[in-house]
Amino acid sequence: MDGPAIAFRGVSYRAQGRVLLGPLDLEVRRGEMLVLLGRSGSGKTTALKLINRLLEESDGTVLVEGRPTREWDVIMLRRHIGYVIQETGLFPHYTVERNVGLVPRLLGKPESEISERVNKMLRLVDLDPQEFRRRYPHQLSGGQRQRVGVARALAGDPEILLMDEPFGALDPLSRTDLQRQFLEIQKRVRKTTVLVTHDVGEALLLANRIALLEGGKLLGIYSRAEFLKSSDPTVAAYRAAWNGNLQLLGRDDRHVGIF
Amino acid sequence: MWEFFKHHRFEITTLTVEHIWLVAASMGIAVLVGVPAGILLTRRPKLREPVIGGANIIETIPSLALFGFLLPAPWLGARADRIAITALALYALLPIVRNTYVGIAGVDPGVREAARGMGLTGRQLLWQVELPLSMSVILAGIRTATVLSIGIATIAAAIGAGGLGEFIFRGLAMVNDSLILAGAIPAAILALAADLGLGWLEARLRPPAA
Repeated sequence: MDGPAIAFRGVSYRAQGRVLLGPLDLEVRRGEMLVLLGRSGSGKTTALKLINRLLEESDGTVLVEGRPTREWDVIMLRRHIGYVIQETGLFPHYTVERNVGLVPRLLGKPESEISERVNKMLRLVDLDPQEFRRRYPHQLSGGQRQRVGVARALAGDPEILLMDEPFGALDPLSRTDLQRQFLEIQKRVRKTTVLVTHDVGEALLLANRIALLEGGKLLGIYSRAEFLKSSDPTVAAYRAAWNGNLQLLGRDDRHVGIF
Repeated sequence: MWEFFKHHRFEITTLTVEHIWLVAASMGIAVLVGVPAGILLTRRPKLREPVIGGANIIETIPSLALFGFLLPAPWLGARADRIAITALALYALLPIVRNTYVGIAGVDPGVREAARGMGLTGRQLLWQVELPLSMSVILAGIRTATVLSIGIATIAAAIGAGGLGEFIFRGLAMVNDSLILAGAIPAAILALAADLGLGWLEARLRPPAA
């Protein structure tokens, strides 16, 4: 299919008379990883939830696969889109197997196929199916839970993946591990992904493009290189915050490690 | 005392069965009405205050008076056990409605959001997520209501609905401690058994912490 996977056209969102987002014009290209970067209250999570209609826009149109989301059957729209949130939202009363198999089961796939799919997804996120299928979420570490969350979101083979601070609740080491692993997964599955974060380092590591939001407005869209060079004061401030810690430690190699 | 129990064992058994019937029937009705009502309150928050408030008011009516109020009601008033069952069901509503509401409202919002985000329908959300995760809280309400009902059901004998209250009222009239105990002891055992049994079930259905 041609055209953007997701498009915001003059979209705004208001709640209790206050404009929380917009007007927003933004396109997400097929197969890319777009990161919505911004601080708390910048409207980034709101924008994300407008895509799978957990929220509905007050003005404008959100298009998924070229069709306004309002015209989609909302249940079909959501099953077409994988969704990962910070606290994973795994069902505590379901085993890993049932959690990951949830969407295929909702889609009415035969049991044998679901079982195979669950194994495949668990291996994709580097969890041994034999060891983990029968466990419950409370028997997993934070990082393992997050992996299961990603496996669950991908199990229905959605075209689009939405991730709301997916690694936010993890300790720094697990977070880095998982970010790198996710990059590998993304290379293999090539889903159109929109990821929300306030972590500049995470954005720079994962994004094909970074959309910077502030106070409900889109400040700009940057490639990694553009973001690192931009003279825009807000971008510079983000960069400074990210670099600041390193400088405090007396280092001057500003573009560390990953590049 | 023991002799008395042995001598009256047939009557004790009959009245105990009657007692269980009154409580079981009223609890059945209260669950069938109360659980859906509690679910409705989670969907229509505006109804919460009037419904919980109404159930609260019922709770404040003395049981003997409530039995009396229902006497002139058509159909209901025709048989004492109908009156008793209705009154007991009304008393049981508050804990059941309240716990159903509190239990479902207390489901982790992250879990609910993830469920909606993955495309569960409203019905699937209720049956696959909300009810299983709140089942132990709902059962705690049913347990409270049941234990309460077993006690209140003894008063149903005052309007001739039978049950273990028969012994108690007769014993009071005749100033006979053995008769009172013949009603009170089985009633207490019933209440304890219901409490333990439902408590066990409640613990089994408690979802693991996330």
